[in-house]
Amino acid sequence: MTPVARHRLELALLLSPALFFVLGVIAYPLGLAIWLSLTDATIGETGRFVGLTQYRFLFSDPAYRAALLHTAEYSGLALACKLVLGTLLALALLPRFRGRRLIYALLLLPLLFPIVMDSITWYFLFSDVHGGINSILLMLGLVREQYPFLGSGVSAMLSLVAVNVWHGTPLFTMLALAALRSVSRDHLDSARLDGAGSLALFRYVQLPALVPALTLAGLLSVLGTFGDYAIVHLMTAGGPGGETQIISSLAFTEALRGGDLAGGITTALSVVPVYLAGLLLVLRLLVRK
Amino acid sequence: MRSVIRVAGLGLALLLALAPFYWMAIVSLSAGAEQITLGNPWVLHAAPYFGNYLDLFRSARFGRWMLNTLIVTGGTVAIGVAASLAAGYALASLRPRRAHGIVTVLMATYVIPQTVLALPLLVEMSSLHLADNPVALLLAYPGLVIPFGTWVFWNLFSADGIRELIEQARLEGARGIGYLSDLILPVALPAIAAVAIFGVAIVFSDYLYLFTLITGDQATTVMGGVETTNVDVEDPGFAFAAMLLGAAPAALVCAWFAERYSGAFTRALGAD
Repeated sequence: MTPVARHRLELALLLSPALFFVLGVIAYPLGLAIWLSLTDATIGETGRFVGLTQYRFLFSDPAYRAALLHTAEYSGLALACKLVLGTLLALALLPRFRGRRLIYALLLLPLLFPIVMDSITWYFLFSDVHGGINSILLMLGLVREQYPFLGSGVSAMLSLVAVNVWHGTPLFTMLALAALRSVSRDHLDSARLDGAGSLALFRYVQLPALVPALTLAGLLSVLGTFGDYAIVHLMTAGGPGGETQIISSLAFTEALRGGDLAGGITTALSVVPVYLAGLLLVLRLLVRK
Repeated sequence: MRSVIRVAGLGLALLLALAPFYWMAIVSLSAGAEQITLGNPWVLHAAPYFGNYLDLFRSARFGRWMLNTLIVTGGTVAIGVAASLAAGYALASLRPRRAHGIVTVLMATYVIPQTVLALPLLVEMSSLHLADNPVALLLAYPGLVIPFGTWVFWNLFSADGIRELIEQARLEGARGIGYLSDLILPVALPAIAAVAIFGVAIVFSDYLYLFTLITGDQATTVMGGVETTNVDVEDPGFAFAAMLLGAAPAALVCAWFAERYSGAFTRALGAD
């Protein structure tokens, strides 16, 4: 075998397992999703080609427009909180101190526990029937009777955001801390010698290092790889009155409950172009060299 | 002053992070629904009740769920690490012309929400007769681990020092198992651990694939098993005991090792 052929064979063999999975469980289902969104398929029926009918229907559906707004609120608010809290915790964990490793490990637990369990637990904690949070508020005299956190639109949404932040912040902390550690001590010391205060140090030395890490964490968390569907589905199921219905929960309600496979997939697909635009920006920061 | 703020902030964060786990443990140690429906739910109202945990060992369902959880989580981590290690190594060391583009496309797959993929995956797995079979999860989850893993390993093997080391070994004709076990694995170990932890986090953070691809009580993991029983509101102790026993060991191990191995992310995210 010539060296070139051997090189090509080695490359193909090493890349093929990764490509098998990326093509098989990402590219193929994505293609299928795009095709199904152009049909009137239901659960159990393959359907026929209907062009852009599903999309036209989508944009005239008030439930869809409400879900878009809720998704922006839910993801945006949760993202902002996770960015700030994750960065602050990473800065707090940066200097060496006794017990740091244990504290870091304990702070990571919300991310590493099953989201199903987290969501069920928070459902009980937010409950207005002897819920864990209400019992504390009652004890402190902050409320007179149990407050129905999940009972009205605004407070239900804020409760979901709180759970999302509780679960997702450790991812931001972990990646932000990893990035902060990439700033060498020499670099920090020389900036300090040049007379930089801690705010200037953060703004001009640490923040630039944090941007790729926080972008990656944001990408992973906004796109629901880290479970925002579970939180909404298990805690409010989109209620009360659809006021916490986000795009992903609406898509699954349509597809699995209503049997409208094509409609559900179209709902889910419709937001991809928005994410794609955001991603192009993100990739410029993450894949350098 | 600054250290006071730091201690107070970390203390508050710990309290908020851990309170729900304390609550889960309390519920799992109580019989019936009194713990949730009577009085202050933050303190045990009776002596700790271990019946929920004993029931787990008597329950055939729980054994089944645990086995499925082990297979799915362990398999996802093994497949995810092996495939992304191979791909990351190939892209960095064999330097195909479009390595940069391939990594970009892989990372770009995270833009496709799981919500989009889950329903077509159900159609795909059904046509492969894999619906309601843990193998469906074992195929679907690595797709979520491999892009990130490949990015981490690509960065590792492209790093100054490591790239030269590998080039030198290859020039000297290093090949085969010895090359893998003596050079590649030791160099990659921290990144392997980091990607493995990411893999566990992916499996444990998922609900969508589990909920879509697995419908029955037999083929599911602890996470799905607890959900399909819908957590008996009259007696949630069993569900919480199952979840704690089923997931806490893996979560604790991952959390403990995360700090040591997050250096792999530092390398990939590094500014210097």
